[in-house]
Amino acid sequence: MIASALTTVMFYTIAVGMTVLALTVIFTRKLLRAAVALMAVLMLTAGLYILLNAEFLAGVQVLVYIGGIVVLIVFAIMLTRSADLLEDHPTTKRMLLGSVVGLAMLFASCCAIFSPRPANTQVLEPVKDDVHAIGMKLLDYGPEGFVLPFELISLLLLAAAIGGIVIARKIPAPEQPFTSGGDLPGEVHFTQPRLQREEETK
Amino acid sequence: MTDILQKIASYEPGETQFLVLATVIFCIGMSGLLTRRNAVGILMSAELMLNSAALMFVVFNRFAAPSVDGHIMAIFIIAVAAAEAVVGMAIFVALFRYRQTIDVTQITLLRD
Repeated sequence: MIASALTTVMFYTIAVGMTVLALTVIFTRKLLRAAVALMAVLMLTAGLYILLNAEFLAGVQVLVYIGGIVVLIVFAIMLTRSADLLEDHPTTKRMLLGSVVGLAMLFASCCAIFSPRPANTQVLEPVKDDVHAIGMKLLDYGPEGFVLPFELISLLLLAAAIGGIVIARKIPAPEQPFTSGGDLPGEVHFTQPRLQREEETK
Repeated sequence: MTDILQKIASYEPGETQFLVLATVIFCIGMSGLLTRRNAVGILMSAELMLNSAALMFVVFNRFAAPSVDGHIMAIFIIAVAAAEAVVGMAIFVALFRYRQTIDVTQITLLRD
């Protein structure tokens, strides 16, 4: 009984905190503050995962989301000097559109959630040893397994990493689109702006 | 004391409460997506939405199916969100180098 009382208190605390911080993410004018609020929202989500008996997922959330994605977002803010400038308030039209669409979506989803559905007859016990079960599922070749999406997601991450480097590259790669010779000294003359370079070659 | 504990325990959150919370976060992210002007702000709102979608998968997994399929879907969502953040950051940096701004209302290259 103490455990379930504790769960209740923690859930509602996390729920209120998450909602307030999510509102901070979208309404604050300082983007760095929004990034910190986003980090807190993700941390509270990890707390919810623990309440839902998904401890491994909570770890993944902290490592990948907070350690990786939020850091990337902070880098993006720094590299584009967004932190120096206060973002303008959105125009009334935009604000109205955003809140109306958000509230409409909330209404529609809540209608779906509260509509009658087959009741859960038995209380499900959480899966014991979920790390082992997740590992077995991810490498299972059978119809219940996820080995193909698992391999595809690694391809996606590789493509995203290479694509990120190619897009954000300061020096355009000579001739070949993907192989650039890395940091060879031969690339130094490519640091000139592209227009200037094209004029020289004419 | 026991009465209070019992009273609190009787409000233990079920699937409905978790789903409503995830929906609220999703809708906040959606309205942020439409109101933000800075591209990084839009990316952050999209992350909020992805996060609440992953949370919903875990909730359904906990209350509806005795397996770990929902956890695996949540892991895939987190991986896709990471890929999206990488490409998004690269695009913003490249865009900022050319236009000196990442305000999405100023970027009208494809308009006419």
